[in-house]
Amino acid sequence: MTPRLARSVIQPENPRLNVSRSANLPHVPGIRAGDYIFLSGMGPIDPETGDRVHGPIAEQVRLTLGNMAHMLHSAGSSMDRVLRVHVVLADLADVPEMDRVYRGFFPVDPPARTVWSMQLRFGNGCEIECVALAGDAGQPA
Amino acid sequence: MSVTRSIISPPTPTLDAGKALGQPTSMVVRGGPFLFVAGLTAIDPLSGRRERGTAASETVRILANLKDMLEAAGSSLDKVVKVNVLLASMLEAPNVNEVFARTFPSDPPARTTCGVALPDGVKVIIECTALA
Repeated sequence: MTPRLARSVIQPENPRLNVSRSANLPHVPGIRAGDYIFLSGMGPIDPETGDRVHGPIAEQVRLTLGNMAHMLHSAGSSMDRVLRVHVVLADLADVPEMDRVYRGFFPVDPPARTVWSMQLRFGNGCEIECVALAGDAGQPA
Repeated sequence: MSVTRSIISPPTPTLDAGKALGQPTSMVVRGGPFLFVAGLTAIDPLSGRRERGTAASETVRILANLKDMLEAAGSSLDKVVKVNVLLASMLEAPNVNEVFARTFPSDPPARTTCGVALPDGVKVIIECTALA
């Protein structure tokens, strides 16, 4: 009989990035199941203050992807293990600036990506989610 | 033994829309037993350029390119497990569905369809996850 995969909750080491908890939302920042990590959509949160950051989209994307990197590291993974990314923008006109910043986070062999625009919550200009491979080190503490 | 991640190049450079259109995406990424295919737009496989048409014709082109990309990766359309369809207009859903019914005639994959704003004037984006 195949053993059932364990499912564990991913929390960021920086609690200011745990928007699920701070905004009292019915989700967790991420779930690990077997070899896969599924992250909830992340937005432009200042990791020093926990505040949402609006304004130029480049900074919003930079913060969001930086936070995503932190979330993956907290889970024992990394940006170069990301398999699929969804980038959602409030405004399609932001695609070129988003691309410019995004390239810097995935400079080589980028994950499979899909980009579109639709309504986002909290006045966010972007929301980014991903699926990644778990790290090599086994179940994180 | 750790599970590996690898990039699978499309069978021709013209189908590598990431490189052809200068976008920071791979088209197919393998992670363990699954293939993660990026959101595909209608691309003419001869020129590598966008092929603009109706939502139905764009869907035909996307799924034909998807078939070729999956088969080059050792997979196939009948190994697709989940599809996300993004439409610039939900009014086109019935037309897109007709194409899907022809392409996946039995036991089609799980699917979600949304009407959203799409980049570059494309009418359809289709992404999927498949068994390798």
